[in-house]
Amino acid sequence: MDNNFLVIENISKSFGDNKVLENINLNISKSEFFGLLGSSGSGKTTLLRILGGFEKPDTGRVILDGMDITNLEPFDRPLNYMFQSYALFPHLNVFNNLAFGIKENFTKKEIEINVRSIADLLSIEHLLNRRIKQLSGGEQQRVALGRCLIKKPKLLLLDEPLAALDKKLRSKTQLELTTLQKKLKITFVFVTHDQEEAMSLSDRMAIMKNGLILECSSPEEIYENPKSLYTANFIGIANIIEIYKKDENYYSDDLGINFKLNKELKNTKTNILLRPEKIKIQSINNLKISSFNSFSGEILEKSYLGSFTRYEIKIKNMIISVLDQNFNSNSNYNFPKGEKVICSWESESIKILED
Amino acid sequence: MKNKLFEKYFVFSPYFWLVLFFFIPLAIIFKISISVSEWGMPPYQDIFLFEDGFKINTTFENYVYIFSDYYYIGSFVNSLILALISTFFCLLIGFPLAFYIATSNTRLRNILLVLVVIPFWSSFLLRVYAWKIILQNNGILNVILLNLGITSEPLQLLYNQYAVIMGIVYTYLPLMILPLYGYLNKFDLNLIEASKDLGLNRFKTFFKVILPLSVPGIVAGSLLVFIPVVGEFIIPEMLGGSDRLYYGKILWEEFFVNRNWPGASALAFSGIIILVLPIVIFQILYSRWSQKNEI
Repeated sequence: MDNNFLVIENISKSFGDNKVLENINLNISKSEFFGLLGSSGSGKTTLLRILGGFEKPDTGRVILDGMDITNLEPFDRPLNYMFQSYALFPHLNVFNNLAFGIKENFTKKEIEINVRSIADLLSIEHLLNRRIKQLSGGEQQRVALGRCLIKKPKLLLLDEPLAALDKKLRSKTQLELTTLQKKLKITFVFVTHDQEEAMSLSDRMAIMKNGLILECSSPEEIYENPKSLYTANFIGIANIIEIYKKDENYYSDDLGINFKLNKELKNTKTNILLRPEKIKIQSINNLKISSFNSFSGEILEKSYLGSFTRYEIKIKNMIISVLDQNFNSNSNYNFPKGEKVICSWESESIKILED
Repeated sequence: MKNKLFEKYFVFSPYFWLVLFFFIPLAIIFKISISVSEWGMPPYQDIFLFEDGFKINTTFENYVYIFSDYYYIGSFVNSLILALISTFFCLLIGFPLAFYIATSNTRLRNILLVLVVIPFWSSFLLRVYAWKIILQNNGILNVILLNLGITSEPLQLLYNQYAVIMGIVYTYLPLMILPLYGYLNKFDLNLIEASKDLGLNRFKTFFKVILPLSVPGIVAGSLLVFIPVVGEFIIPEMLGGSDRLYYGKILWEEFFVNRNWPGASALAFSGIIILVLPIVIFQILYSRWSQKNEI
């Protein structure tokens, strides 16, 4: 795969004294669905706007398909930008919104054909004569998407593409968006603050914080093997435990138990990550406690989530989150509050955060 | 009970003021305009006479008089042209300014808005007089031009229609900027970026997106400038020459110099009807159009 379709090279940007982006480097492949994930103020939207041409970087270059586009105006770039607010033109109907970007270079008949085919692709044919105010949020999102796709861009930039939709519509649209992207094979780069959205849409994603890229990898890799404490906490639920070397093993003061690791630590003291679904929860009389990688604790809180139950289990000075899948037979989802339980995990499930 | 009365006052007070300050004066003007003029104080006869029984004493001769003399119609046309040109220049200067103010940051925006309003703090007459001083033959502008060697003798800048247009544009510019700003303030700047992103350069973006979406602000500002300029008296009087007669000027003369109150009233009443009727019709059509287009 061509890994250099979109190259972001040493991009820095400041607004006054405020450094928004610091030396950003990213390589994005052709037809990749790439996510930029970060909380507000992380610089992700500024980076997207630099790609769109709405902001000029202080340093660095943006190269798209071998062409340096750093200093091109937005109207000269072979890419399109979908705004979070959709930015549809209120004085034009859906047809003319879709046709807006191709009116110049096409004949009337070609425009008609193009608009019809894009409307067909997005199932919005019945809306063509509507005004923008008469559309629902989901319909507006499709028109905004169609208005960009009709230009057949090399790169589509999406600013929080699903943020304005309600929860149910969001998961449906998520699926449609990935299907559409795989079908059209256009490179998508999107920005989001929603980690679930980032994980479900992205082929690869970058975690941003304070103008830096902390990590860039596939969602699975970032979830399972985060490199930093911040990423571990930011993505999903994380149990972070501080351990140190004691005799042959590793010991946690907070939990008061021993850990057995698969590999040796470089430092004598470090943080480890234990994802809540990796922890097995069992009734105390089923099992005797082994001295490693298990503990007994008391259920402090429980929330039933349908397919899972989330337990907050107190042990010594710490509260550990556990996600337990609700199998239908012989179910153990009804551990009551206050019950003593045994939690255990495999050594492989422990991820060491060395930073 | 008291509350209800209070509520009713608020609902009907605009109509109350409209009747008190617009329709009643208009009715008085109309009444004078159909009176028979005579020498005396007031210089017209009553329209209801009670000598030898009741008699209505009205005439439309004043209207016939003003509409049959090109002196009056011509000056009204002059005023309309003046108002059109001035409104155009106010729009030309005011639109970019209003757009710039609306899109700048809060701090700069407040400073600029104060700068727009500041001229209102000094007397209108003084400001027009100041232009007279600037533009006169030995005024600042001519002194500068002479010293720079751009001209060898003072230019006649004052007492012509260009000075009048300049004075009017200067005076009425805030009235164009403020309603335009009020409208452009709500403008979604993402629309401009979206247009550029879709391949339209600045020029095309202006005509395809910014201009069509600014129509309500442009209409409001233009009406606010156009209507009072048609009746403007002081600026043509102070900065204008004898080359062109304007409606406001002959209205003044008819009233104060000729003491022809009925004639002046007929002129004023005709002017109001000629101006207001098309504007009312325009407003109705326009509000229908903008409702349909959801602007």
